[in-house]
Amino acid sequence: MNKRLVIHVIGAILMIEAAAMLPALVIGLIYREPGAAQAMLYPMLMLIALGLPLWLLVKPKDQNLRAKEGFTVVALSWLLLSIFGALPFVFSGMIPNFVDALFEAVSGFTTTGATVVTNFENRPHGIMFWRAFTHWIGGMGVLVLTLALLPQMTGRTSHLVRAESPGPSMSKIVPKMGDSAKILYLIYGALTVIEFIALMIAGMDVYDAAIHAISTAGTGGFSTYGDSIGAFNSPAIEIIIMVFMVLYGVNFALYYSILIGNWKAVKKSEELRWYLGIFAFSTIAITAFVTPLYGNVFSALRFSSFEVASVVSTTGFGVVDFNTWPQSAKALILILMFFGSCAGSTAGGMKIVRVALLCKLGQREIRRTFQPRKVQVVRFEGKGVEEAQLSQISVFFFVYLALILAGMFLISLENRFDVQTNFSAALTCVSNVGPGFGAIASDFAGYGPFAKCVLSVLMLAGRLEMFPILVLFHPALWRKN
Amino acid sequence: MRILVIGDGKVGHTVVEHLAKENHDVVLIDTDEEALARSQDTLDVMCIRGNGANAQTLIDAGAKKADIIIAATASDETNMLCCLIAKRLGAKYSIARIRDPEYNESLSLLRHELDIDLAINPERATAIEISRLLRFPFASNIEAFARGRVEMVAFRVQDNDVIVGTPLRDLSRTLRGIPQVLYALVDRDGALSIPYGDFVIQPGDLVYVAAEAVTITAYFRFLGKASVKIRDVMLLGGGRISYYLAKMITPMGIRVAMIEINQKKAEMLSESLPDVNVIYGDGTDQELLEQEGLPQMDAFVALCDRDEENLMTGLFAVRQGVPKVIVKNNRVAYADLITDMGLDSIVSPRSITCANILRYVRGWANSEGTKVERLYHLADARAEALEFIARANDPYIGVPLKDLTMRPGTLVAVIVRDRKVIVPFGNDHIEPGDTVIIIACESGLTDLNEVITR
Repeated sequence: MNKRLVIHVIGAILMIEAAAMLPALVIGLIYREPGAAQAMLYPMLMLIALGLPLWLLVKPKDQNLRAKEGFTVVALSWLLLSIFGALPFVFSGMIPNFVDALFEAVSGFTTTGATVVTNFENRPHGIMFWRAFTHWIGGMGVLVLTLALLPQMTGRTSHLVRAESPGPSMSKIVPKMGDSAKILYLIYGALTVIEFIALMIAGMDVYDAAIHAISTAGTGGFSTYGDSIGAFNSPAIEIIIMVFMVLYGVNFALYYSILIGNWKAVKKSEELRWYLGIFAFSTIAITAFVTPLYGNVFSALRFSSFEVASVVSTTGFGVVDFNTWPQSAKALILILMFFGSCAGSTAGGMKIVRVALLCKLGQREIRRTFQPRKVQVVRFEGKGVEEAQLSQISVFFFVYLALILAGMFLISLENRFDVQTNFSAALTCVSNVGPGFGAIASDFAGYGPFAKCVLSVLMLAGRLEMFPILVLFHPALWRKN
Repeated sequence: MRILVIGDGKVGHTVVEHLAKENHDVVLIDTDEEALARSQDTLDVMCIRGNGANAQTLIDAGAKKADIIIAATASDETNMLCCLIAKRLGAKYSIARIRDPEYNESLSLLRHELDIDLAINPERATAIEISRLLRFPFASNIEAFARGRVEMVAFRVQDNDVIVGTPLRDLSRTLRGIPQVLYALVDRDGALSIPYGDFVIQPGDLVYVAAEAVTITAYFRFLGKASVKIRDVMLLGGGRISYYLAKMITPMGIRVAMIEINQKKAEMLSESLPDVNVIYGDGTDQELLEQEGLPQMDAFVALCDRDEENLMTGLFAVRQGVPKVIVKNNRVAYADLITDMGLDSIVSPRSITCANILRYVRGWANSEGTKVERLYHLADARAEALEFIARANDPYIGVPLKDLTMRPGTLVAVIVRDRKVIVPFGNDHIEPGDTVIIIACESGLTDLNEVITR
């Protein structure tokens, strides 16, 4: 492995994390919270002290980033981001236990939104902003940001982006990776600003609007209130956030197509049709299931559409507790937690494209049993899908399930909650949704340190789509040559 | 510039590699997913799977706004069609690889009707290169600059050559009447450097000299090398390169023996090339080679499909005492190894094709941004020769070269003024409108002002 290159790139990423801490530091100063400002400043200085020498002094002789280095950089940098990202929580005393803080930071960067914070009264504004801002960085990806900011990183960068960008295949929107990354972040930033303004118009104050805008953007789900969006009790705010949650679940390449006037691409997108179809169907079904609970269709529609958007986009904001819903609605929510949103979005889950292809694959195998000689090409978005990709997706599905089951088993060793809770905890973490069923409806504080570590690994594996994290556990990666 | 490349084969991939490095927006189209996956992993370009002759694929790839389309698929017809469609869609320039000799004869008509700006025939281009090497057998490489006015010849220095052992600046004093050429580059044991005045040439160096074509001829006559003239050539393999080459050199009075392993093909060649001695047999059979008079040949050119066979038979020919051995080898990575084994003249159709394509692309790119008129790769792309046009208000104009500062690792090789070739010395200066050829041991220079400062 080309260790010098790995170290060099990681140095650059640490510097970017230091820069990312700056807004939270400024907010801490604005709200006159010296404790919070210090808690942001010290990790920043540590990152600079570590990152700058690595970046400047370790110059790689060979600039070629191969698959091995690419995956290692991605996995290691996400681990380091989380470790340093947890320090402000510890230093400020908001989450004094390091394992808890690490869980919170991983949950932030992976845009899961599962929290260990139970009391939201009088929390330092700077630290709460940092907590939400981790969603924004993790949503589009820190390596994508690195590529957008560092022009000299050209050439073999596809392994970095592939490991970090969600979906079975990586497609660039323009020929150059650096330009692609810049365009993605511009769209991302623009959507965030629009939501921020919309939320202010709907009545939020600047601070809440900023927190919720960046938290929605990453499809994360950290809020400043224990009752999440329910605390505002405002249909206008709910509608704005719902619309944006759905928007962030769409492949960003489609937004670029719209910007360059290519509406045909939007019309042709099969994944978008599946996505909106699943959203519409689930909303109608759940509305029907919960209407008796709320007494009228409009309240039922209001709550069910928000919760469905929240789960499908894997954000995890809530207006009501879906644990109080009938089992039929909960079952559908559980299924949606698997699905997630479109490839190339900021959301988690298995991704609609994989679900759609698995459905088609199943259909094909059924047909093959009674018509074995029929040649069947699986088509998606009007094109035939390569067999290699199909088998990769099947394996992905297996690994996804295996990881959830293994995670469920491991956290059940602590013997704190029932199996339903533990299963939903593993699923919600791998899919980067956030809330689960039973005891973890609003927070994960009840789990012990071991379970939190397991769940942190699950969140990272889910965000990076399994393999970049799993390769770290494969001994051959660390062997020489 | 936005460049579409259709065909991710050997040439397509190499061209894309260079274009991506030169910071162009490149879209690569091919039908083979596996080839594209490899390019996607190693190059910063956009890959699209599809047929490049399909209008929708071209539109998806952005052909409407493309500056250049390069069609290098395996099929000539597809390449022509790609260029035609892309041009109709709005692409500005088109380059097509057209290699079939049948099309070659009606090329100018095809080019005009299909609106192709450059048609590249790799085999013909390679044959031209080889014929140049056969005209100057002592040279291992010849390159022409400034529309053919300036030639640069690379040759290996022998023990008894008169230029050995004297610093370059004293050569004209010690050797009276030696024609003035520029010593542009020296390759000593694989290390390339630009020789300055105190440089001493040693036997075994590969020296690149540049001057006007007439002067070059006179120079080598002075060194006593021009007397070697090639009369008998043996060509191994009866492929397209051999065909073009035989057609080019037989009128020059060179007798050609061509060995072809396929009987049918041998018969066809014999029919279409009446002046060539076509031999049907296995060219890797040493017995056959000796029987057909290999040791008496002035030159041996190995042009089989397989690089390995070319190398082995080439080495055998060197051992047999053939003075000039040229082998075809497409694997650039092994060039060093081969040179070490004693084979100096290697031609690579892939590199030649790429170099031709890149030369045009850079010329077009020049109109928007960089100021390089033309760019040539030298010594396996380890050095470059760049043609610039001097501009009237640049600071170096009119200042004697000795008062200017050159960027390290560069050299003003030649100045062409009003069709006159000047090999510059310290007292010469650059005038507006001059074509200035710079030799550089680095790549990426885009402006003459980067090279020469006051």
